[in-house]
Amino acid sequence: MQELINAVSLGCIYMLFAMGMSLVWGTLDVLNFAHGSIFMFSAFSGFYLMQETGNSLPLAALLLVGVVVGALMSVLAYQLVLRPILRRAKDKDSAERQILIGGIGLAGIPVAIVQIQTLSNPFSFRAGSFEVASYDFLGARISNIQIVIWVVGVLLGTAVVLWLRRSRSGLALRSIGVDSEVASLMGIDQGRLGVAAMAVAGGMAGLSGALLCVSFGALTAESGDVLLLKAFAIIILGGVGSMLGTIIGAFFLAGAETLLIANTSGTWVDAVSFGLLFLVLLVRPQGILGRQEVRRT
Amino acid sequence: MTQHTVPPTVAEPASALVLDARDVAIHFGGVKAVDGVTMEIAEGKIFGLLGPNGSGKSTILAGITRLVPLKSGSLTFDGRPYDDVPTFKLARWGMARTFQTVRLLGDLTVEQNILLGADVGRSSGVSRRAAATERKECVADVIDRTGLAKFVKWTPSELSYGVQRRVEIARAIVMQPRLLLLDEPVAGMTKSEKLEIAALLSDLRAQGLTQLLVEHDVQMMVDTCDHLYAMNFGKLIGEGVPADVVKTPAVQEAYMGKGWRADA
Amino acid sequence: MSAWYDAHLILVQATFISFLVALSIQFPMRMGVFSFAGVANYALGAYTAAIVVVRSDEIVSPVVSVGAGVLVAVVVSLILALIVRRLRGLYLAMATISVSLIVQVIAFNGGELTGGASGMFGVISDLTIGSVIVVCVVAAGILTWTERGTLGRRIDAVRDDPELAVSMGINVNRYRLVAFVGSGVFGSLAGGLEVLLRSTISPVNVGFSLVVTALTIIIVGGYRSWVGAAIGAVIVTWLPFYLQAMERYQQVIYGLFVVVAAIFVPGGLLGIADQARRRLVRRQLEHEDQEAAAEQDAGGAAVVDAVGASRKEEAR
Ligand SMILES: Nc1ncnc2c1ncn2[C@@H]1O[C@H](COP(=O)(O)OP(=O)(O)OP(=O)(O)O)[C@@H](O)[C@H]1O
Ligand SMILES: [Mg+2]
Repeated sequence: MQELINAVSLGCIYMLFAMGMSLVWGTLDVLNFAHGSIFMFSAFSGFYLMQETGNSLPLAALLLVGVVVGALMSVLAYQLVLRPILRRAKDKDSAERQILIGGIGLAGIPVAIVQIQTLSNPFSFRAGSFEVASYDFLGARISNIQIVIWVVGVLLGTAVVLWLRRSRSGLALRSIGVDSEVASLMGIDQGRLGVAAMAVAGGMAGLSGALLCVSFGALTAESGDVLLLKAFAIIILGGVGSMLGTIIGAFFLAGAETLLIANTSGTWVDAVSFGLLFLVLLVRPQGILGRQEVRRT
Repeated sequence: MTQHTVPPTVAEPASALVLDARDVAIHFGGVKAVDGVTMEIAEGKIFGLLGPNGSGKSTILAGITRLVPLKSGSLTFDGRPYDDVPTFKLARWGMARTFQTVRLLGDLTVEQNILLGADVGRSSGVSRRAAATERKECVADVIDRTGLAKFVKWTPSELSYGVQRRVEIARAIVMQPRLLLLDEPVAGMTKSEKLEIAALLSDLRAQGLTQLLVEHDVQMMVDTCDHLYAMNFGKLIGEGVPADVVKTPAVQEAYMGKGWRADA
Repeated sequence: MSAWYDAHLILVQATFISFLVALSIQFPMRMGVFSFAGVANYALGAYTAAIVVVRSDEIVSPVVSVGAGVLVAVVVSLILALIVRRLRGLYLAMATISVSLIVQVIAFNGGELTGGASGMFGVISDLTIGSVIVVCVVAAGILTWTERGTLGRRIDAVRDDPELAVSMGINVNRYRLVAFVGSGVFGSLAGGLEVLLRSTISPVNVGFSLVVTALTIIIVGGYRSWVGAAIGAVIVTWLPFYLQAMERYQQVIYGLFVVVAAIFVPGGLLGIADQARRRLVRRQLEHEDQEAAAEQDAGGAAVVDAVGASRKEEAR
């Protein structure tokens, strides 16, 4: 039971992170490699502010800082780096390659800054002014922070799915993912929608960073890179562009990892996602729910 | 009673078919891009393949060159079935092609692009040095015949579209193929450029090169081809003498929107 | 000279090793194989050589210890190439990054064999920098041969348009296999030689930051030729040394380099040089054309046509 609670909490965080990444990948065709360092840096910004203010920030403020910093970084990355690359690349393949390379370079910057600031030590919100309380829940312990994670996860997860399915802008965004040329012809303003999608994705990454830092104790400068690869595994497992698939993938990975941690010393935990990624890429590259990619010659 | 002699068991392949594509079907998911097409390409002639946009012409070329898998059907090249032979081997067997879009390597000069075709290892049993000289002569000859001598040191992006297309054709010809597949080689060219290319193709035919030409230009097809296939929606809608095929109602209808009439 | 050399020995070593690491990613990239398995190969080469040296009672020749690493890496690369043969582009890149990180996790969990988190120490050998330079020169020689003539053209085709390449009779899959094996050889050489020079190796040395460093070298120098990897290796190794202020912010500046290069000069410094050279050639060609056209106006139509087209290109 305790494992289940932990797995769901971890799954919510993975889901928030991976949904944002999947959103921009599925629609804007951008695999933002800096998504992981945005996650990490947003949490770090909260930590930094907390130190500056003498540990007097409430939880809500930490989360808010995470969202704002994440959204801001994500939009900046898009406008200053990813979009210029898309615009200048000579064909789709080189665009894909340059986006990945540019993203890796971009990801390195916040990681290096935080490494310098923390001297490569882990940082955490543990000294914060908020109280961690635990309650009995069906014979297991659940903390108030885990409850926050569940609530935020369910609300945001549903909100994003509904946004994409129901709203005008969500539909427009999905149409870009299906065929960006046709979408432009239909008068869809891809620039503004792109910025909106990046902001949402970055905000979710920042939020998940803050939540993970609160609930699991500490992050390091490199945490984001590992999480990025996990999210890649999740998205591939679920199928690129499929939100439902991403959600399933997130909880599946969280479950598998929690089981491993509960039964072993936990040092192999990162191998789970990498192994999983590898397996899915081999057996079913389009994921469990994704559509087969159609390539025109 | 006359005594019939038993024909030799190693029969001549039926009037030397270079390519025999039988009941070829190619599907993309639900799209039946090619749906049961049979083509018999005989030696030394120019065969035409005509059809409106999206009728499956490029797809059948991709199937013939084994760039896409067949749903069903069989393929034979010079009497050899090649249903599981990879594309690169076919090229070495002597199947050359051009693509519908210009696909030149942007970092190489015109000459280097053409040499890429000449590099195809078609060993003819002669010594390496002799082969190299022969190759050099062939390249020089093709460059000359395609009128590209002035452009050898240029790179593709510095040249006009018509010249780029000619480089593509030259690159395929220097492979010294047995069968040349051309996917809309003159699209986007000026009238006079088209005529030059048509003359070049006829020349090559005179030298015995078998060709399959995909084209939209009905007039050019009638003038250039010996035998014409017409396609629509993945199926053959006509076949035979070019001038007759284009007059059949099915072909007329398929091409109505194009503003071309047999009597025009 | 000798005093200078002694003072800078570490940097000289680092330059040559970085060059080999960069080759382990540049070599496949030139063949259109976007693989980061080079970092995994580096780890395999380093750990294998270290284990061979530490485990044996006698002194092991570097040829044996590094050779063992190369062998292991090549076998693993071949298996990997078979497993990922259907993956392309982004998917291949991400899969191979995960392979590198799995190797790191294995090194971390290897217990006594790999020394766990603290890694391995006391990998003593009589390897000299001279041998490393010889290895690099031989590698550069072989690579020069692959970049010229028929082979060079074929590799260009395999990278830029694999479908065209197969239509031209090129066995693209074989080239891809060679790309993986080459990455195995270069990566494991770098790892094996470096561990013998430095005498230690630990999981932090084979992590994601090595991916970033190798990528920086290639992207700054240019991925189209080993020369780009050489230029990049020199810059990335020596720039922080001369710009003392950089030292602290070295990784930040690398990140900026990569970003700027990805946006503005995807071909790296080598690409810029190539473009400049091409511009000169073109000016010359245009000049010749104009003279020819002036001499005989008849039959020059096509030339004027071509020059006109190139003008248009330039105006854009
Ligand atoms: N890779 C692919 N995936 C899915 N559908 C495809 C693919 N290639 C072609 N098609 C579809 O197959 C059909 C035939 O296309 P094809 O390119 O062969 O037509 P075509 O006769 O060459 O037309 P055009 O004259 O425009 O070149 C079209 O409906 C096209 O959309
Ligand atoms: Mg076509």
